[in-house]
Amino acid sequence: MDARVVEELRAILGHSGVLAERARRVTYESDGLAFARHVPELVILPRDTRETAAAMRILHTHGIPIVPRGAGTGLSGGATPVAGGVVIGTARMRDVLEIDAENRCARVQAGVVNVDLTHAAAEHGLFYAPDPSSQKACTIGGNVGENSGGPHCFRYGSTTRHVLGLVIVLPDGEVLDLSRPAVDAQGYDLVGLFVGSEGLFGIATEITVALLPVPPVTVTMLALFRDLDAACDAVSDLIAARLEPSAIEILDELTIEAVESSVLAAGYPKGVKAVMLVEAEGSEAEVAATVDAIEPLLVARGAFDVRRARDEAERARLWAGRKGAYGAMGRVAPDLYVCDAVVPRTKLRELVRQTIAICHARGLRIANVFHAGDGNLHPNIPYDRRNAEELRRVLEAGDEILKACIAAGGSLTGEHGVGLEKIGAMEWMFTGPDLDAQCRVRDAWDPLRRMNPGKLLPVHACRETRTRDPRGGTR
Amino acid sequence: MDPRDPQQLVDYVGSLDCIHCGLCLNTCPTYRLTGVESSSPRGRIHMMRALAEGAIEADADYADELDFCLLCRNCETVCPSGVQFGHLMEHARGALEPRRDRTAFQRLGRRVGFDLLLRDRGALRFVAVVGRAAQRAGLVGLAARIAGPAGHGLRDAPSIPPASERTRLPVFTPALGARRGAVALLEGCVMPELLGATNRATVRVLAACGFDVHVSRQHVCCGSLHAHNGEPAGARALAVETIAAFDALVDEAGAPLPLVVNSAGCGSHLKELAHAVPGEPDHERRAQALSRRTLDLCEFLARGAGAEGLAALIANVRARDTVRVTWDDPCHLLHGQRIRREPRDILRRVPGVELVEMEAAESCCGSAGIYSLLRPDDATRILDPKLEALRATGASVLVTANPGCQLQWAAGIRRAGVGVRVLHVAEVIDEFVLSAASRPGA
Ligand SMILES: Cc1cc2nc3c(=O)[nH]c(=O)nc-3n(C[C@H](O)[C@H](O)[C@H](O)COP(=O)(O)OP(=O)(O)OC[C@H]3O[C@@H](n4cnc5c(N)ncnc54)[C@H](O)[C@@H]3O)c2cc1C
Ligand code: SF4
Ligand code: SF4
Repeated sequence: MDARVVEELRAILGHSGVLAERARRVTYESDGLAFARHVPELVILPRDTRETAAAMRILHTHGIPIVPRGAGTGLSGGATPVAGGVVIGTARMRDVLEIDAENRCARVQAGVVNVDLTHAAAEHGLFYAPDPSSQKACTIGGNVGENSGGPHCFRYGSTTRHVLGLVIVLPDGEVLDLSRPAVDAQGYDLVGLFVGSEGLFGIATEITVALLPVPPVTVTMLALFRDLDAACDAVSDLIAARLEPSAIEILDELTIEAVESSVLAAGYPKGVKAVMLVEAEGSEAEVAATVDAIEPLLVARGAFDVRRARDEAERARLWAGRKGAYGAMGRVAPDLYVCDAVVPRTKLRELVRQTIAICHARGLRIANVFHAGDGNLHPNIPYDRRNAEELRRVLEAGDEILKACIAAGGSLTGEHGVGLEKIGAMEWMFTGPDLDAQCRVRDAWDPLRRMNPGKLLPVHACRETRTRDPRGGTR
Repeated sequence: MDPRDPQQLVDYVGSLDCIHCGLCLNTCPTYRLTGVESSSPRGRIHMMRALAEGAIEADADYADELDFCLLCRNCETVCPSGVQFGHLMEHARGALEPRRDRTAFQRLGRRVGFDLLLRDRGALRFVAVVGRAAQRAGLVGLAARIAGPAGHGLRDAPSIPPASERTRLPVFTPALGARRGAVALLEGCVMPELLGATNRATVRVLAACGFDVHVSRQHVCCGSLHAHNGEPAGARALAVETIAAFDALVDEAGAPLPLVVNSAGCGSHLKELAHAVPGEPDHERRAQALSRRTLDLCEFLARGAGAEGLAALIANVRARDTVRVTWDDPCHLLHGQRIRREPRDILRRVPGVELVEMEAAESCCGSAGIYSLLRPDDATRILDPKLEALRATGASVLVTANPGCQLQWAAGIRRAGVGVRVLHVAEVIDEFVLSAASRPGA
């Protein structure tokens, strides 16, 4: 990186806000998609909107590409650095700016960690609903970038349903303040458009989110199955019966084993083929009715034991095990590839079987742990990125799984985004004109295409637009 | 073994256990402070792996990130993948040390500290005498100036108590009242010089609970500071001495006595002592046996005969008034030895103690062995938010169970002007139970 640029940035961000040393930069070379790596030329860590804007103006002047980054827990390569680019991390923007208990909303800096917001809200009897399994690490900004979900999004919906306002720094350093909650929004819903933009439109620096009152009663149930198929069928039944638990998660045998041998051992019995976590929330009567209706359905599908968490501590343990499942897979292999696809919930059993068959046919192991209620599959494939041949089989299996899900009427991504990982798959899902239209939306935000280039939208799909668009065409 | 081979610089296989999930980030004090990935557990492991794979050099920046780590092992407690971070870091520091750019003065300092002082009771005593004289004569500021940046920590160094306080423990103290058994007690290297009062309270408590207390005359240091600070050779030599010293303390039947430790850092090291003697099967076996019979004082008093002894003591006491007390988990007790409940249970049972939880009690206070001497500014930045948390509890006593933490807290509290006393668990029992029992009318 040009020494002058570094100097200019240091003048704004201070010495500790600009990481130029290779030993430090190397730690930013990937997000959770471990095999996609590039050591960034520079990493900067602004502390607020003003610093972010000033830094982005400088980068704009020098025509330098930008990759936004929260905690780097993304699983699709959204935060993977790009050649010649600067990573802008939000890790020093972690203040909860305001909790407005009366209006049930909070204004936070983008780098606030999801669970820290939840803790801050709890003091007011409120909570922030989207709870990705990575919530102890991931940032609200990253959640906005990916429109993240989580177990409880079955009931409450994903991030986009909870974001009320944003302060955005545009690629040229201009600040766009969309933070005033406008019930009667005039014009387009730009906030809605930004959520899920995977860092291609700008950097969100402040985020206003809705908070919900903590439900008076919560019951967490653990159902044990001798067979994964049966667990999937039970989910289809719950959905068909129009029951409204707040979360339905399934963990299979390999996942249970990994979790139980970790510090997060939750007390899932070993040797069972699948456990299902079901949670019901609401008033006492509501919860009782839901639970009473759910139990017989699970038993009818072969659940041989249905338990309820006795207290808050046990509840927390059951969830910690679920949420630590990814990390626990580190006991199985150095790297983990998590596919993320959505299928119609009537077809869970069939698709889960197919994913297993696809992996086994390639000599790969597979662990299934997923947001069953949403039909959001997460086949986890352990691998070692140093083994290129194995990695090739893993990616091939991932493609096959996605294709099978799309063929079944599902979609490319449930919550992890497209990033680098699924950029090729965009063309299985969308036609040329569809992609063109998306490119034009992007160009409205970032005409020079300097934000997170090479992610989300396949480049050649955009070429069409680019030759027609004078701004894109000059580059 | 080729010392230039980058794979030898780190525990490469161990580093592969990290699956990059990020669950450790938010609990790491140095990451919370800076937001810098390479100052996080995930980032530090990433650097180690990058070094082994030839992607980076073992340069000053790499070294600085290793040094910045507190070795508090908070990351281990939360890691679902079971990464042995403490071990990875000790290994990386040890392998890096010979290749470091250190000034002659720094080298000399390390040799004096690690090879001379911590190996020799007489030398420690000598430094205590000179140090106290210098502190009283106000010469410390001068020495700190002469030593330059390296001497920065001197100014914040703990004040050395008078000679009357710096006495050794008796080799044998008999049980008081009904005898329940016998234990060995680790006296520690700097404990007698800096925190003799804590040691004596520990002996009084153990004896009052019904245990004979044996102390090794020859033993000086267990080597934990060496292991943490990149001195594996020193750690090995001291491990061998430690094994010999405590294998020699036996009961009537000739079986080695359980070893009670009142310093969490030493206890944690002793429980993993085999790491210090790799590739020596006989020593490894004896180290493991010693590890199995090592107990932190909190563990000892919360289980079995120790707990019975304490219960019997407490039964005799009625509290006069109540004191609000808060507990700060020493990292090497909580994260190193996974002991969380025991000290809290003990404190709750002590008459006259009202235990209130302090926010972030589970996070490092910045003492981290000799970290607060080597990186005083960072240590202060780590402690500052905890001082706020302490204020918020309204407690008048802060309890912990590790000498470094006691000194770090005492220094911070003095600086911040908070009126809180710092006590070791043993001192709490000594004061609230033993002294109370001997009070007329109690
Ligand atoms: C163990 C584990 C469990 C997970 N579980 C879930 C889950 O249950 N549900 C789920 O949805 N995801 C899950 N994920 C994926 C990941 O945690 C989410 O995508 C998360 O939202 C990423 O947040 P982050 O802060 O790490 O962002 P990063 O990974 O750093 O970035 C994500 C994307 O957002 C962009 N971005 C980041 N900050 C900003 C900003 N301020 N403004 C604009 N763009 C920005 C980046 O450029 C990138 O494209 C999991 C990941 C792991 C490792
Ligand atoms: S929690 Fe463990 S596996 Fe996850 S990033 Fe931290 S050290 Fe690695
Ligand atoms: S030992 Fe402590 S300071 Fe070091 S990386 Fe782990 S949590 Fe951070």
